Amino acid sequence: MIFPAHQPDKVPRGIWCLFVAIALLVTGIAEGVDFEKEIKPFLEKKCLGCHNPNIAKGDIILSGAEHVFAEGAELIVPGDALKSDIYLVATPAEPGEVPEMPEEGDALTGQEAELLKQWIDEGAVWPEGLVLHEASKSDKSWWAYQPLSESPLKTIDAFIEASLTKEGLAMSPAADRRVLIRRATYDLTGMPPTPEEVEAFVSNSDPAAYEQLIDRLLASPHYGERWGRHWLDVIRFGESNGFERNVIINNAWPFRDYVIDSINDDKPFDQLIREHIAGDVFGKGDPAVELGSAFLTGGPYDDVGNKDVVAAAQIRANTLDEIIGATGEAFLGMTIGCARCHDHKFDPISHRDYYSLYSTFSGVRHGSRPLATAKEVQARDKLVKPLNAEKATLEADLKQAERELINKVREKLPEYQKRWVRPKVNRTLTEDEFDPVPAKFIRIVSESLDTNPNVAGGFRIDEFEVFSSGDKPRNVALAANGARATGAARLIEDFPGAYGPQLAIDGKLGARFVSTGTTLTIELAQPTEINRVVFSSGRDEDTFTHGKFTFVSDYRIEVSDDGENWREVAHGRDRKPVSVAHENLRLKKAEATKEEVDVINKVKAELASVNKQLAGIPALKSVWLGTRNAKDAEGPFHIFLGGSPQKKGEEVVPASLSALSEVSPTYELSSDADESKRRSEFADWIVNEKNPLSARVLANRIWHYHFGTGIVDTPNDFGYMGGQPTHPELLDFLARRLKAHDWKLKPMHREVMLSKAYRQSSSWNDVAGKVDGDSRLLWRFPPRRLSAEEIRDTLLSVSGQLNLEMGGPGFRLYKFMQDNVCTYEPLDEHGPETYRRAVYHQNARASVVDLMTEFDQADCSFSTPKRSETTTPLQALTMLNHQFTMDMSKALAAKIKERGGNPVTSAFAMAYQRAAEKEELEQSEIMIRKHGIEAFCRALLNSSELIYLD
Amino acid sequence: MNSPLDLTRRRFFGDVSTGLMGVGLTQLLGSEYVSAAGDPTVKWSAGSGKPHFPAKAKRVLQIFCPGAAAHMDLWEHKPMLEKMDGKPLPGEENMVSFQGKNGPLMRSPWPFEPAGESGKMISSMLPNMSQHADDIAFFHGMTSKTNTHGPGCVFVNTGHPTEGFPSAGAWTSYALGSLTDNLPTYVALPDVRGEPPNGKANWSNGFLPAKHQAIVMAAHQPIRNLERPSGVSAGEEQGTRDLLTFFNKRHALMRPEESELQARISAYELAAKMQMSAPEVSDFASEPKHIHQLYGTDSNNELKAAYARNCLLSRRLLERGVRYVNLYCASRASGVDGLLNWDAHKTLKHDYERHCPVFDQPTAALLTDLKQRGMLDDTLILWTTEFGRMPTRQVGTAGRDHNPDGFTLWMMGAGVKGGTSYGATDDFGRRAEKNPTSIWEYYSTVLHLLGLDYEKLSWYHNGLDRRLTDVHGKVIRQVLA
Repeated sequence: MIFPAHQPDKVPRGIWCLFVAIALLVTGIAEGVDFEKEIKPFLEKKCLGCHNPNIAKGDIILSGAEHVFAEGAELIVPGDALKSDIYLVATPAEPGEVPEMPEEGDALTGQEAELLKQWIDEGAVWPEGLVLHEASKSDKSWWAYQPLSESPLKTIDAFIEASLTKEGLAMSPAADRRVLIRRATYDLTGMPPTPEEVEAFVSNSDPAAYEQLIDRLLASPHYGERWGRHWLDVIRFGESNGFERNVIINNAWPFRDYVIDSINDDKPFDQLIREHIAGDVFGKGDPAVELGSAFLTGGPYDDVGNKDVVAAAQIRANTLDEIIGATGEAFLGMTIGCARCHDHKFDPISHRDYYSLYSTFSGVRHGSRPLATAKEVQARDKLVKPLNAEKATLEADLKQAERELINKVREKLPEYQKRWVRPKVNRTLTEDEFDPVPAKFIRIVSESLDTNPNVAGGFRIDEFEVFSSGDKPRNVALAANGARATGAARLIEDFPGAYGPQLAIDGKLGARFVSTGTTLTIELAQPTEINRVVFSSGRDEDTFTHGKFTFVSDYRIEVSDDGENWREVAHGRDRKPVSVAHENLRLKKAEATKEEVDVINKVKAELASVNKQLAGIPALKSVWLGTRNAKDAEGPFHIFLGGSPQKKGEEVVPASLSALSEVSPTYELSSDADESKRRSEFADWIVNEKNPLSARVLANRIWHYHFGTGIVDTPNDFGYMGGQPTHPELLDFLARRLKAHDWKLKPMHREVMLSKAYRQSSSWNDVAGKVDGDSRLLWRFPPRRLSAEEIRDTLLSVSGQLNLEMGGPGFRLYKFMQDNVCTYEPLDEHGPETYRRAVYHQNARASVVDLMTEFDQADCSFSTPKRSETTTPLQALTMLNHQFTMDMSKALAAKIKERGGNPVTSAFAMAYQRAAEKEELEQSEIMIRKHGIEAFCRALLNSSELIYLD
Repeated sequence: MNSPLDLTRRRFFGDVSTGLMGVGLTQLLGSEYVSAAGDPTVKWSAGSGKPHFPAKAKRVLQIFCPGAAAHMDLWEHKPMLEKMDGKPLPGEENMVSFQGKNGPLMRSPWPFEPAGESGKMISSMLPNMSQHADDIAFFHGMTSKTNTHGPGCVFVNTGHPTEGFPSAGAWTSYALGSLTDNLPTYVALPDVRGEPPNGKANWSNGFLPAKHQAIVMAAHQPIRNLERPSGVSAGEEQGTRDLLTFFNKRHALMRPEESELQARISAYELAAKMQMSAPEVSDFASEPKHIHQLYGTDSNNELKAAYARNCLLSRRLLERGVRYVNLYCASRASGVDGLLNWDAHKTLKHDYERHCPVFDQPTAALLTDLKQRGMLDDTLILWTTEFGRMPTRQVGTAGRDHNPDGFTLWMMGAGVKGGTSYGATDDFGRRAEKNPTSIWEYYSTVLHLLGLDYEKLSWYHNGLDRRLTDVHGKVIRQVLA
C-alpha cells in the first residue's frame, strides 16, 4: 500500500521530539539539569502513560512531588541515582539488556538516562507545584488542527492529476453514459434511473447533458433521502432506546424528516450543526429549528431504574458520555470519549476537555416533549384551562360527597361486622365449602382485588383446587386429571402461556396465573359432584404480602353445566374485609340510598364529560427531543478521576476544546452559566470560521460518500489513530470551497461530480492497479456494491412496487413485542405497507432484519462513518428464499407481461438499464420456457449486476 | 499494527467468508501483523484458521444462564450464611441495591453436598452437574461493572457494558475463521422462553463485519430463510440457480479483477451447501434412545425437554465444526421477576426449583457426551451469567437482589485444570475477596486457550484499536492445565 492509513507507528510524531532534541543540544548536560525542560518531557512521554493518578500502575505515580517522594517510597533517593528505583528500572541492568521499564514503548535513550541520573545526583529538586501529565502521541501541531492551507491549484482534477503524475499514473477514460447515469443517480438518490431516463441521457447530444443530469438529480426530493440517510448514520440515529429494555420510540421520526428536509433545502451545514447542538436555544418557539436538537437524544441510553445511587450516577455519566462521543465524532472527527477516564492517549484532548463538555451537556435528558409554536401552545391553553378548572371543582365535589356518604354508612358498621363471620381471604390458602353440587364448569369471579377494592381484574393464582365430594375427595381441577383452565392472562407473544391460566391447575407452585380479567374458569374432564375449592396466590410463601401475590378480596364461586348458565355456590362477602377501604366499599354498596347514589353518579357523569372534552382537544405534537433541565446543569462540575462519578477531581467549567486553542477563538463560561448558554456557545465554537476541523471533517465526508473512501479513510477520527489524508491540499481546498459555498452541500456535489475524476471509467488497469490497488489516487472510479437501503429500494423500484411517499411515521420489518423488555422478530412476509424507501424504516437498536442487516446496514448503537461491504451466504439465503424476493419476482413478472414485447429485453432494461446480449437472451428465454417468468425474475433480482455499480 | 480497515477496498470486498464457512478467499485476506513471538518476518493473519501460538482449544461452547444466577445458591458454598441466617449483613446493614433496600442475610434454601474427588461443595439442586466438579475450574471472585441485566449480559459477552461491541464468538470467528464449509462459524441458541436481556446485542458482530455475527438457530427455531420457498419446485430452483450463476459469472468475467464478484458466486454455492447440511444437524432421528434419555429430551417438563434439545443440538453443531456455540438457558427479565430467567428477586426457592431442573440434567449430559466422545480435549466449555446475587433477602421478600461485586463463572475442557477453585467471595458471598477477577481476565484466559494473545487481537473502530478485553486483561494461569 502506498498511502499511510491510520498506522500510528508509521506516522511522524509531533514536533516535540525535535524540540527535546534541540533543547538537549542547547542546554548540554554539563550544567545543572533543568527538570522542567530536560526531565519532564521524557517522563511524560515514557512513564506517565501508566504511572499517572488514574492508572497508577504498580501503585506508582510520577505526576507530582507528593507521590514521587511519598513516605516509604524508594523511587527517588535524592543525591543517589544508583539507589533510586526509578533510575534502576529505567536503565539496563547490564549493557545491551532491555531495561525493566517501560513495559511498552521506547526505553530512555542514553542521554535521557544520563540526565535523569544527574538530576537525582544533584539532589532531585522537583519544581514546586509542578504536575506532570501524560503526553498524548500528538499535540496541537497535528495536521488536522492547523489552519486551512492555500494552494495554487484551483480544481479538483488539478489536485488528482498532480498526485497521479507523481506516481506516473493518469486518470482512466471517461465512463460511458449508461454507466454514468446509473452511477450518478444512485449516488444522489439511492435509486436506479428509469429505462426512459437512461435512453434520454444516452441519446442527448447536448454537451451540457451531464451537467443538466446532475442538476436534475440535485433537485430531486429523493436526494435528501439518500444523503439524509448518510447523515443519520453519522449521528447514530435510531428509534429504540437500546440497552436492556430497548423500548421502541415512536415519535423520533420527525427528526428524521427534519434531516431529509434540511438536506433537500440545502440548509447550510454550519446552521444544521448549530441546530443539532442548540436548536432549541437558537430557535426557541420555532419548531422547525428546535427539532434539530433532537440530535442530542438520538442515541441509545439506559432507562432501567436503579435504586443503587452509585450505579445510578454511573448510568447518568454513561448517558452523557454517549452524547459527548457522538458530538465529537460527528462534527469534529475527534474521539473525545477516549478522554473520559484520563487524558487522551493519542490526541491532545485532556481529561479536563472531556469534563468541560460534560458540564456543557449536563442539562440534557432523554424523553419526549411537546414541540409547538408559542401560538399553538397558547391556543391550546385557552381551551384546556377552563376545563381543567371545572375538573378540579368536580373532583372536589365528588370527594366531598363520597366522604359524607362514608361517614353515614359507617354508622352501620357494627351491624355488618356481625355478618362478616368468616376470616378474611388468605393469599397462602383460601377455602370454601358448599353443598355438593354437580358441575362440568367451575369459575371464580373476582369482585375486588385485595390491593384495591375498586379494581376487580388482575389477581394471581398459583393453584386452584376443586374437590369432588364423597369419601375420597380428589382434586378434579388438575390438568393431569383432564381439566382445562381458561381466563384472560398477561401475554408474552414470543413465549405464550408464560402467565397463563394453565399455571393454576398444574399441581405446581412457584409460577402463577396472572389474570388481566376477572375470572378463572376450569372445565372438568367430566361432570362431577363437588363440594370444596381451595386456592391461593402465594402458597408456602413466607413473604406473601408482596405485590407479586396480588389476590382477590371479594369474589364468588360459580358452577355451570354448559359454561353459559352459572349458579353461585360460594362467595367471599361474608368474610372479614381485608382493609378499611374494602369495608367502606361493602357498606356503600349495601347502605347507600338511591338518592345518594344518584348524586354521586351525577358528579361522576359530569366529570366524565369534562374528561372527554379534554381528551378531545388534540395534544400538542410530542417529539423525542429530550428535555433540558436547568437544575441538572447547575455547577460546579468536576473531573471524574478514572471516569468514576464517585471520585471527583478538580473543578471544570464549560469551555472550548484545548486542541484548537491556537487557531480558533476560545471561551470559558462561568460555573453558573445557563444551561442553554452552555450549548449555544459550544455550537458557535464548532462552526467558528477559524475552526479548520469541522469544515475538513464535513468535506471529507462528502468525498467519502462520492468515492467510497474519504481523503481521510477514518471519517470520524482525524486524530493520531485515524488515517492520514491522501490528498491534504485537496482536502483543504474542498473545506475552503465548502465555506465559500456557505456550507451548502449541493454546490459541492456539483463540483465533485462534474470533475473528470468522478466521471472516469471504473475499468481495471494492471499497471495502475499494481501501484495503487485501492485507487486511493483515483486512477479509476472505484466500483461499489449498493448499500442495504439501495438494494431494498432497487428491488421495489425495479418491480414497480416502490411507494415514494415521503416522511411521516416509519414502517417496520420486524414484529415488535414488549413484556417489560422488548423483542424484535424479523418478519417472514413484508406487506405493501413496507414498500416504502428504506430510509423510512423504523430502525430499532440491536434488532436484526434479514436483508437490511445482512447487507451491512449500520447498527445505530454507534456513529457509523462508513459502511462495511461484506458478502455472505446468509445474504444469498435471504435473497433467494425470503418471501419478499418471491413477491418482488411476481410483481416484476407482472410488470414485464404488462409492458409486452420480449420479456427478457424489458427485464434487462428495467433492472440493468441496458439491452440483453444474444447469449443472455438465449439462456433467459430457455429458462422462461421451462420455469416461467417469475423464476427468471428471481434470478435477475439475485444477480450481482443489479447491486454493483461500475 | 495494521488495522483491518487498511485492507484495500478490493481485498475487503473479496473477503467473502461469511460467518458460514471459512474457505476460499478468506485465506487471501485478513489483517496481518507481526506474530506474537515478535519475529517481524512471521505474519499472523486473522481468519486464516491459525492462532497466534499453539492452541489448546479449537472450539468453544459458552453456556449462558441469564438473569444473574446466584453464586451462593449454586456453586459457592457459604456456611456462614447458614449460621447467620436472619441476621443483618455486618457492615452493610442499610444496604440499598438495584431494586432497593435489603433485609437480613438469607441462607440458601437447599443444602450443599460434596462432589467428586475434590469434595467441592455444590448445591444439592444440581446433582447431575456436581458429577463434573472434578473437571471444572471455578472463578469464584468474578466482578462486574454494572448491576443491570442488559448491560451485564452484554458485558459478559463482549467485554463492554454498552451494546455495539463484538461478542466473544464474533471475535473468535474473526480471529480464527471457520472449521467447516457447511455450517456457520458462530451459532447462538436462544432459549425457548425468548431472548436474553438486551437480546441480539449478545451475539452481535458489533463493528466487525456482518459475517461475524452469530447465526441464530435452535431446536425450536430453524435458521431463517434456509428453506426453498414453498411454491418453488426443485427443478425450478435449479433452473433459477443455473441462470443466476450464468449471469453472475458473465458479469464477473468482464470484471476479472473484482474479487468481490467471485466472492458473491462462492457465497451462493456455500448457501446451497448450508441448505443441505443445516437440516441434517437439527434432525435428531439418528440419535439413539439412550442419548435422548441422557439429555432429557423426552422429559415431560417441557422447558427442560426444550433446553435438552438445544444441548443436543449444541453437541451436534460442535461435532460438525461450528467454532463457537452460545447456548442460553432461560431468557429475559419478564413482567414477573424470576419467572423466565434466574432473576430471583422475590421467591428464590420457587424460582430456582423451576430453573435448576431445567438446567441440571441436560447441561450435565452435554458435558458427559462431549467427554465420552473425546471432544473435551479440544473444546473449551464456559459457563457464564451476568453477575451474582446478594447474600441478603430483599426487604419483604424471599429473594435476592443483583450483586455485581462477587459471583461465579467457570470453565472446563481443553487446557483447563479441572477441580480448581480460583478466587472467592467473602464469608457471605457479598464481594469478591480473594483474587477478584474481571471479565477481561476471564476472556484473556479464554483467548489464551484458543492460542490468541488478548492484547494483539484488535480492530480499529472510532479512534481505538478495540479489544475483547478492552484495555485490560491478564491470563489466569492458575486454571491452566
